[in-house]
Amino acid sequence: MLSGLAVCAALTAVIAGVTGAWSPCGFSMVETIGTALGDERRAATLAASATFALGAMLGGVLTFGGLAVLGHLVSHRTAGLREALGASLALAAAIADWRGVKIAPQIRRQVPERWRWTTPLPLACGLYGILLGLAFTTFVLAFAVWALAGISFATGDPLLGVLVGVAFGLGRALPVLLMAPGFNHGGDGARRLDGMAGEPRMWLGLRRLDALGLSLCAVFLSGASASAAVLANATDPSAGGGQLAWQRVNGPGQLRQRSGRMIALPGSLPALGGSRIAWQGGGAITIADPISLATVATFPAAGVTALAVSDGWVVYRAQAPGGRESLIGVSLLGAATTRPIATAKSAGEIGRPELDGAEVVFAESGPRRSAIELVDLATGARRPLRVATRNAALLNPSLLGGRLLYERVDRCVQQLRIGSPTGSRGERVLLSLPSTVALDPGYQPGYEHHYNSASLCPNRGAGRGAATRLGPSALSATAAYVTVIHSNSSHARVISLSR
Amino acid sequence: MAVIGLAGMGTAARTVLPDEADAYTNFCGHTYTTGNCPHPTGLPRVNRQGLPLRAGDGHPVDDLGRPIDAAGYPVDHHGRMLREPDGEPLAPAPRSKVCPAAGEAHGLKLQTEGSWYRCCGGRVRRLMDCCGYTSVRINGDAALTGYCYAGRNVFCVQYYETMAPC
Repeated sequence: MLSGLAVCAALTAVIAGVTGAWSPCGFSMVETIGTALGDERRAATLAASATFALGAMLGGVLTFGGLAVLGHLVSHRTAGLREALGASLALAAAIADWRGVKIAPQIRRQVPERWRWTTPLPLACGLYGILLGLAFTTFVLAFAVWALAGISFATGDPLLGVLVGVAFGLGRALPVLLMAPGFNHGGDGARRLDGMAGEPRMWLGLRRLDALGLSLCAVFLSGASASAAVLANATDPSAGGGQLAWQRVNGPGQLRQRSGRMIALPGSLPALGGSRIAWQGGGAITIADPISLATVATFPAAGVTALAVSDGWVVYRAQAPGGRESLIGVSLLGAATTRPIATAKSAGEIGRPELDGAEVVFAESGPRRSAIELVDLATGARRPLRVATRNAALLNPSLLGGRLLYERVDRCVQQLRIGSPTGSRGERVLLSLPSTVALDPGYQPGYEHHYNSASLCPNRGAGRGAATRLGPSALSATAAYVTVIHSNSSHARVISLSR
Repeated sequence: MAVIGLAGMGTAARTVLPDEADAYTNFCGHTYTTGNCPHPTGLPRVNRQGLPLRAGDGHPVDDLGRPIDAAGYPVDHHGRMLREPDGEPLAPAPRSKVCPAAGEAHGLKLQTEGSWYRCCGGRVRRLMDCCGYTSVRINGDAALTGYCYAGRNVFCVQYYETMAPC
């Protein structure tokens, strides 16, 4: 699923690509492909149009995808700063494009004309396409091109970069695809080209569309960069219906309503889901309306250590005096059906549950296996969504609308990931932190070291690890929430990230 | 004559036997150049079962490199169980034998086979070869036979610190 920013940036990139048609190279391409051959060689013209389009998209991917990969490689600690700078750049470019400011700095170069005479036309056009798709090898006709480069780098999201690159290449190719094949075939390609050349207001109009797109991108980026400490002294987030609930460390549950109003709840371990909120207190679980907080249902439950709720179900984790923990589902519809979900000999093995309708997800961890499990409370069917038997722990899942948010931790890195519940293909990393553990250099001081890189980490060196670790998470329609906990204390905060 | 003989033996020993600081690679006791088996905290120290220990102090660690207690729960440097802000213990994580885990990571079936013992830091150290049917070792070049059996070769190395003084 593409983020709002990705869609917005891609649409802006298409338009930015089209503005390139008003450059010397843009006009030359239409003429080269459309007039160099006679009508009898229309197939070659079509082939040249196709290679030009493919080349332009390839060039776009190289530039914008490459910048995104570069941004991805830069430390994630600077992500907030980069996104803020990206938003500023997008906004500045939007203003400049809206006002039709003269492009500066300008790249006053053109593609090599000799290729047209020395190489077969489809090959030459493919190469021309690559050069024009690269965006910065010839004239730039909109500030949006610069801004899109900045956005690709700022997000550090290779998928977004590739998408912007393909879209930009498509935009560069569109005028050629529309005009060149009809240039010498009784079509109106030549007339359109003349119209373009004589009507720069069309170009300025497109730049204004770019400005609107960039403004929207800036809004999305600002939202992403606002992932600093959203909620201090907070853990166990839960999201639903535009509201957010969390557990205040050593305090009561908290609710932030859609209006922004903050409420201290009369209980702890709050959970949101569907049109319900739940909390525990006084040996009972209370289900209430999240707006009015009017109680809908209450039932006794002892030793509750975690809670999840949806319109039809409540799931809670309860600890027995000996430390044994159980995960239990209770139906809120009709007869209060109780469904045992999982049990563990010791606390900590069953993670905090999260509900999406009748489906509950939770982590199950032990020395032999770490897994994200899903149980359908309607049928009792259980299936593992992610499993690791070595070298990794899978923790703190949330499920919403067919998207799974969870954490994968190994000796090198802690990652907050989002993807399909059915498989890890296409998963995205929303947040990445170095691992918290201390690593030695893989050799003893004073001895020769030959090959010892097997235990090293590409993202961090030897010595102490990161000071923070990832904790419980939550997923809403627009954002992911995760608890960030200081390693050696109970200091915790909940941050939000754009999905 | 005895003094001359002893002096000669000492010279011969210095010539033939490796000196701790010069001849060992990566860690004390390891001759030749086969690389370490991947280990959660770096140096490939294991216990008798081949499970990972932190090299510095021999504390058991899980696959994430976190010090753990006997039940596998992460602990702090005082040995106290680590907890989430809501009081729940931190979840345990898998703990794997270092040698087979190295094999799984490289698509090989590996097992600990022959060993050699050397004196390191006042303790007898057991150098354990992690062996498999492979012609390439973890370094990426040709694997040696080492102390492996039945046609297997050394893929990577690990060690176990015994309690025996030396």
